[in-house]
Amino acid sequence: MNVRRSLAIAGLLLLVVGTYMGLFVAPPERHMGEVQRIMYVHVPSAWNAMLLYTFAFGFAIASLWSGKPEWDDRLVGAVEVAVVLNALLLVQGSIWGRATWGVWWDWDVRLTTSLVMLLLFAGVLTLRRMASAERRAQWSAVATIVAFVDVPLVYYCVRWWRSLHQIQSSPETVDPAMVIPLRLNAIGILLLGVAWLMARAAIEKARRRRDEAPLPSRVIVKETAHA
Amino acid sequence: MRVVWSILAKDLLLEWRERARTLSVVLFAVVTLLLFSFALGPDVEALRAGTPGFLVLALLLSSTLALNESFRIEREDRALEGLLMRPVGSMAMFYAKALANALLLTLLAPVVVGLAVVLYSLEVGPPALAGLVGCWALGAAGLAAPGTLYAAMTSRLKTQDVALPILLFPLVVPVLLGSVKAMDLVLFGDAMNQLQSWVSLLLAFDVIYWAVCGVLFRYAVEEGE
Amino acid sequence: MPEGVIVGGWSYVIAAYSITAIVLVAYAWSIHRRGRDERGKRGRHE
Repeated sequence: MNVRRSLAIAGLLLLVVGTYMGLFVAPPERHMGEVQRIMYVHVPSAWNAMLLYTFAFGFAIASLWSGKPEWDDRLVGAVEVAVVLNALLLVQGSIWGRATWGVWWDWDVRLTTSLVMLLLFAGVLTLRRMASAERRAQWSAVATIVAFVDVPLVYYCVRWWRSLHQIQSSPETVDPAMVIPLRLNAIGILLLGVAWLMARAAIEKARRRRDEAPLPSRVIVKETAHA
Repeated sequence: MRVVWSILAKDLLLEWRERARTLSVVLFAVVTLLLFSFALGPDVEALRAGTPGFLVLALLLSSTLALNESFRIEREDRALEGLLMRPVGSMAMFYAKALANALLLTLLAPVVVGLAVVLYSLEVGPPALAGLVGCWALGAAGLAAPGTLYAAMTSRLKTQDVALPILLFPLVVPVLLGSVKAMDLVLFGDAMNQLQSWVSLLLAFDVIYWAVCGVLFRYAVEEGE
Repeated sequence: MPEGVIVGGWSYVIAAYSITAIVLVAYAWSIHRRGRDERGKRGRHE
């Protein structure tokens, strides 16, 4: 509880500072002007969504390997937070596209891949909701692994399909005044994401406990109904 | 290996006995192809240009039909549990099922490709036809592996008709793109020698998913502890 | 100013940051509420 809260507070603080610097301290970019400031939330969302999907993949393997339900709790936390960040990523990307390319959507490699990725992992969450309690953990892990393996394949085929893409922007080639807000926001979202992951896992654990333990009140009701 | 063949033989025999069911998948693919033609108007040139896309979409849509059906018999008789009880092993069962599905989908190729040749007045020689069927088979194999895995799960759900497509369609984006592009190059010429890279993409998808799904199938059908 | 720079664009930046903030706050709130519900349910049953 305390770890979670301090992670969340630290993350929030970093985000506030990073956002302030991104909006008001960092200079406008040479070609993209003020629009470039979207990058300070866009790129960290992308990094962290990918990172959390990778966590989810690890949790899925651990879940199948060990059969321990705790891994499944963490899995659902990671996938859910990643899906939220992924959805944000698409909206930010679309606004960015409108400002720079003049269209809300372009079949750009990374934009398209993140849309497919969102659909893949939203599918995992849907399957999870439909599955029965005793199969939920295994099915979620299977679907997560299958979806994760697909991501590089989707990336490469979209890249070949449409070879229009932006040059990868790495922090080394840009002004240090731009690197700092980017890094602050990246770490901020990461800490916040991990805190949410843990909170979501705790909720799942509580639900699981509730489902597992037959409630005394419910048993009594059943017995009286039979009598 | 022998187990795979015996389950496969049983599935194919059943498929043969219920020819009407298999035929309905064929019919569905044909109707889909017709509908695409109507939707895109009578301009033959435009239709011809869209042929690869129509073919692959027809394959994709009929695949969900075939896959949803493939676990129906086992589920109705609770035979899946029976098969799993015996020392058959879920892996053998996966490969048998996936092979049966891949075969069934591949068998659609002559009918649907033939129809497309007639409908869109494609001028193709035997090598191009063989190429089209080859791309179709690679695509069918790519759909069959994850499709069989997911169908094993979704066949236990009340919502299986929706569940399978929403899980499978985003997953097979590489199959769709790969086979559409490959068919396009086969049909309309391959000036830049790109066919090989698309075929290898399809092959890579097939190999990866036939392996991964074979390993994971156990967790999809067996009860957790 | 160099050629090809996008002039203005603050409205896009504000839109992107606002949506980001709204989604993050909404998700935090949803987590909080679900956690509270779950604790509440457990309390009632015990």
